[in-house]
Amino acid sequence: MEVSTPAARTPRTQGPLVFDVIGRHTISFLEHLGMYFGLIWWMVRNVRNARESSTNFFSQMVQIGNDSIPIVVFVSTFVGMVTAVQSAYQLYSWIPRSVVGGLVIKSVLLELTPLLTALVLAGKVGATITAEIGSMRVTEQVDALEAMGFDSVSFLITPRILAGVVMFPVLVVFGDLLAVLGGLFGAVIVAHIPAGAFLAGMKSSFLTRDALFGLTKATIFGFTITSIASYQGYYVTGGSAGVGKATMATVVFTCLAVVILDFILASTLL
Amino acid sequence: MITIRNIRKSFDERPILHGVNIDVRDRETLVVLGRSGGGKSVMLKMIVGLLKPDSGSITVDGSDVLSMTYPRLRELRFKFGFLFQGAALFDSLTVGENVALALRRGRAKDELELNEVEIAERVSYALDVVGLKNTERALPSNLSGGMKKRVGLARAIVPSPRYMLYDEPTTGLDMETADEINVLINDLRTKLGVTSIVVTHDIHSAFVVGDRFAILDGGKTLMTGTRAEIENSTNEDVRKYISSSLSTSRTRLT
Repeated sequence: MEVSTPAARTPRTQGPLVFDVIGRHTISFLEHLGMYFGLIWWMVRNVRNARESSTNFFSQMVQIGNDSIPIVVFVSTFVGMVTAVQSAYQLYSWIPRSVVGGLVIKSVLLELTPLLTALVLAGKVGATITAEIGSMRVTEQVDALEAMGFDSVSFLITPRILAGVVMFPVLVVFGDLLAVLGGLFGAVIVAHIPAGAFLAGMKSSFLTRDALFGLTKATIFGFTITSIASYQGYYVTGGSAGVGKATMATVVFTCLAVVILDFILASTLL
Repeated sequence: MITIRNIRKSFDERPILHGVNIDVRDRETLVVLGRSGGGKSVMLKMIVGLLKPDSGSITVDGSDVLSMTYPRLRELRFKFGFLFQGAALFDSLTVGENVALALRRGRAKDELELNEVEIAERVSYALDVVGLKNTERALPSNLSGGMKKRVGLARAIVPSPRYMLYDEPTTGLDMETADEINVLINDLRTKLGVTSIVVTHDIHSAFVVGDRFAILDGGKTLMTGTRAEIENSTNEDVRKYISSSLSTSRTRLT
């Protein structure tokens, strides 16, 4: 009987190659995960050093918050309008019209505004952060900060993450208000639902808990997007081509992280 | 005094440095010569702990850089000024803010040793030293390569460092600007007594600013000595390096 030893199996490349690829990707993923959490741990442990960059924090609040208002206005208003119009269309003949108001407020607070704001800002804010920090890395500006005696993580990353954690919920509150107004507009003008009925439905379905859930999600999304983007930028290699790749990776990974976290949070907190 | 002993460093299993030994005496300018990609800049970054060698030791004033905790390493870096090859200026800050940044390091805004007026005065003086008076409000993107290097130099000298590290200070500059940078490097040594390490492959500039020279070749220290010792060396590799560098330098001059 022929005995199949590990050495004898090696020439059959199909199996081992697949495992090799899976193994290498798994190791690479775990390495990145380890470095990501290492960066976060460094940031938390040395948070005191961020006092040196307080002005950076305020400028990041403006960049992440203020500069994102136009896109949040646009997205939220249309999301509210579409939700109202589609709800009215789907439920038209067999429920009271006030239910549309309830559906809009629930959908907007719990899911649509936090999720869509996060996805849009994953592209805008995330890509900006990675490109900024990545460019600084490849042009030795990060090294220059360290050589001067600054803690580059506390100087560059901590203000961005803190600004994201603070400003994302603010943007979501703003987006919630606009989505509700958009919903009212869509319901009244397009679906011909009386404003009174829409508002009554909204009022009867509103729960403070829902709003807080949405804000919790926004805070977590803000942290996730800014931290992944900062990580990608901070560890850029390969010059300007590397910055481009890292920026693309940021958009992909932050979007994936947001939808996965969205599911986890909905499953655990609702 | 800076002492480098037997440092080795590989990137992606490709050895860059394998056995570099250099001593830098107080108040001297040591020029590290070698071909591009020979690990000179890597060595410079190791001195301030920006990169870690795979093995070997680096001491600054008797303290082992490699075993330092991060807070101690930051304190050590306060002793250094570092001029990067591309100047590494922060594009979002003005020239004045770039230079002032070096005076705000390691301190929260309310803990600065200098008030804003004093910082502005120091920045103005440093810019004056490098020949860029009244450029505080300019943005780095509007400056030429030579001007950027000078701003980088102003940022490096403004906190009055004890050691200066220059990474290819004259690379990419025209002869006139390169000579001006060389004069500044010499002035810093004579007027401020700064100990300097200059990394370059420009032998013309090296002979203008250097007291002693270390030649890196194949990741090792080929020779360390004064200009006369290097020019009179009987080592075949040293002679070959010097003659090829001088001929390249002459070609550029003509």
